[in-house]
Amino acid sequence: MNKMQLSPVISVHNYSFSYETLDEPLLNQLNFTLYENETTLLIGPSGSGKSSLSLCLNGLYPDAVEGTASGVIRFRGQPVHDFEKGQINQQIGIVFQDPDSQFCMITVEDELAFTLENIQTPREEMEARIDEILMTIGMYDYKHEAIHTLSGGQKQKIALASVLLLEPDVLILDEPTANLDPMSQLEFIQLIEQLQSAMQLTILLIEHQADDWLYLIDRVLVLSRQGELMEDGEVESIFQTKQQQLIDHGIFIPKQYLNSPPISKPINHSNNTEPCFTMESTSFSRKNKPILKNINLTLKKGEMTAIVGENGAGKSTLLQLMARLLQPEAGTMTFLNKPLTKWKEQSLRQHMGFVFQNPEHQFITDTTYEEIAFSMTLNGYDAETIDTRTRELLSHFHLIHEQSQNPFALSGGQKRRLSVATMLDETPDLLLFDEPTFGQDAQTTHELMEIMTEIQQQGTTIVFVTHDMDLVDQFCDSVYVLNEQSIQYHGHPAKLWEHDELLNQARLRKPFRLEMREKVGVAHDLGH
Amino acid sequence: MLLMISAINPTVKAIAVLIPGILLGLTFDVFTPLVYLIFILTVTLLLSDIPFKRWIKFFVPFLLFIASFSWARLLYTSETFQNGSVLFSFWTFEVTTGGLLVAISLALRSLCFIALSLLFIMTTDSTKFMLSLMQQLRLSPKITYGVLAGYRFLPTFKHELEVLRQAHRVRGVGRAKGIRGRIRQFKRYSIPLLANSIRKAERVANAMESKGFTGEHDRTHYHQMTVTKRDWRFLGMMVGALFLAFAASYYFGYLNIFGYQVN
Repeated sequence: MNKMQLSPVISVHNYSFSYETLDEPLLNQLNFTLYENETTLLIGPSGSGKSSLSLCLNGLYPDAVEGTASGVIRFRGQPVHDFEKGQINQQIGIVFQDPDSQFCMITVEDELAFTLENIQTPREEMEARIDEILMTIGMYDYKHEAIHTLSGGQKQKIALASVLLLEPDVLILDEPTANLDPMSQLEFIQLIEQLQSAMQLTILLIEHQADDWLYLIDRVLVLSRQGELMEDGEVESIFQTKQQQLIDHGIFIPKQYLNSPPISKPINHSNNTEPCFTMESTSFSRKNKPILKNINLTLKKGEMTAIVGENGAGKSTLLQLMARLLQPEAGTMTFLNKPLTKWKEQSLRQHMGFVFQNPEHQFITDTTYEEIAFSMTLNGYDAETIDTRTRELLSHFHLIHEQSQNPFALSGGQKRRLSVATMLDETPDLLLFDEPTFGQDAQTTHELMEIMTEIQQQGTTIVFVTHDMDLVDQFCDSVYVLNEQSIQYHGHPAKLWEHDELLNQARLRKPFRLEMREKVGVAHDLGH
Repeated sequence: MLLMISAINPTVKAIAVLIPGILLGLTFDVFTPLVYLIFILTVTLLLSDIPFKRWIKFFVPFLLFIASFSWARLLYTSETFQNGSVLFSFWTFEVTTGGLLVAISLALRSLCFIALSLLFIMTTDSTKFMLSLMQQLRLSPKITYGVLAGYRFLPTFKHELEVLRQAHRVRGVGRAKGIRGRIRQFKRYSIPLLANSIRKAERVANAMESKGFTGEHDRTHYHQMTVTKRDWRFLGMMVGALFLAFAASYYFGYLNIFGYQVN
């Protein structure tokens, strides 16, 4: 696009922001401009202040958090802080990441009305406006539904609709698809594409993994870990020429620009058929609603297995059944040739580990050191062994300098590493992970997959739930597809990608290497 | 015209339930609350669309609780009410007519509160109640929408507690034993729960303000909550019936306010 024709909508001059004082600002001396009808991608490692920036742009920060800021942000030439309270928000709408914490009303209709009430739309006009926007986003049938009954993808569409009712000039999307399953992600992106061509929006997109958005992006801004603007330029030039710098900062590079594209895991032809864990005709329901029906599953010793399926398919439930955190209605499970029900609690926990989606849920003690030593103390090791092993794990997971910090005060990546380390006091036979890479940046994801591979090489059987088909393709020996309460596929990932219809039904996608191959020739057919 | 209680303005309804509730608390005789209880039950049956089964399901547990509570009250009546002849003795307790009447009165008053509360709760939409408090009583929108957003948190809170319990079990922490163990467990659960709640609350607040919410009263209302003649009639009916009960009680010589026989 030619910048000469574009007029600036938002311009940022020497802007710094901090939650406390400006000695170590979160955002440091930023200068950039967002142009009319352009779609700008903002990327940066976790903790670089991307989300804070979006709240600064619409005038909520620094006031809302009593932070400090210097420099100036202008909206169409006028400083943002000169606008009256609530006025600038109508021009700059934000859709946030978490579908579960951006609503304040129970039903879809009332939530949309909430926006209209804020901008004092006359009551007589509200119903028509609500109907119209629901038609636009294809959610008219859900007008009277309670929001908490909707899927993640549907919630994000409602969040988008409630922001669009403001008729904003600028739309900020703060990782809007990070919590969605792969198909819902695509649907949301397509919706944005349609809206942009219909409504002429200026869009600022914040996204860790921007692969699917690339065809909509005009320009890329890169924030460094220190909150400085590292790069500002065209998509191609940034991802190609600056690739190494971005990787060093823990930023995901869109796979099509990667110099060494990932390769799929070769089929392992070893004759090892000894099972570590088996599940036979197991069923589970919640409140008389069947969640899993007649599940059969075998995990071979030392293999890495993925469980995939759309949101709400029962993947986490399956994992919880395997860890005996839930009791099945019917069926038998065997772990290391012994019925799961016969295991003593303490011994089961020693032989089987479970890493939860949110690492914070697993923290029990007040320091990182104690956190790792905890299980060993519980299992009655002598003080010296505990200390040696704890130090080993701390240094192996790069947490030695944080050993006396409170686990809650660690960064996202450190929390993730610690939550894995706490499971490794002695090498477990089976390790279960519930969406371990969820919401993590490139560096943390990469580190975690390396750790998992390493643990696997020590003989531990690994199972993880994921939405990321590239991880499945690159790391797994076996994959289970969960759909409509049952297992619809089991086998090597490489074979799964051949079942187009099944992938469609289970709302899965192919890994990038295959999608790219198929896209050749239909590159301009996206979104139809 | 049939007056349906679910259609009554929630604020007016709350007042219509509160006034008799408070005034009944002052009457110590048996007759007044009995008459009023019969009135509330009639209103509940005839003028509301509460399914009878659902109502019973809530009412019966309270009934049992109040029965046992009043029994205890009967045995431990204070000296003031220990007048009248001894009805029967039970172990070291002596039950007098005075004590019996006070206990029955207490039970009837409690049942009136329960019946009034159920009448309100089971015919009122919580969202509309908050909106009405804002529109009729000028409750600050900040508080109104804060509470409404809070409603949405309750189910997620429950889910999170469940996950926490599982996560700690995996770490080898069993169910807490003893008081000290329970306190420690409470601390372990409360920190992550609080940390997450604060984070979520902040996110919701940001989302609300980003949609132009200012917390001021200058907003329009999708659900216009109005007070009509019908609502005043309902208030009049609920309070009027209470005064009729007072009058009848006085006429028959039963009325007893705060322990003083009025006649």
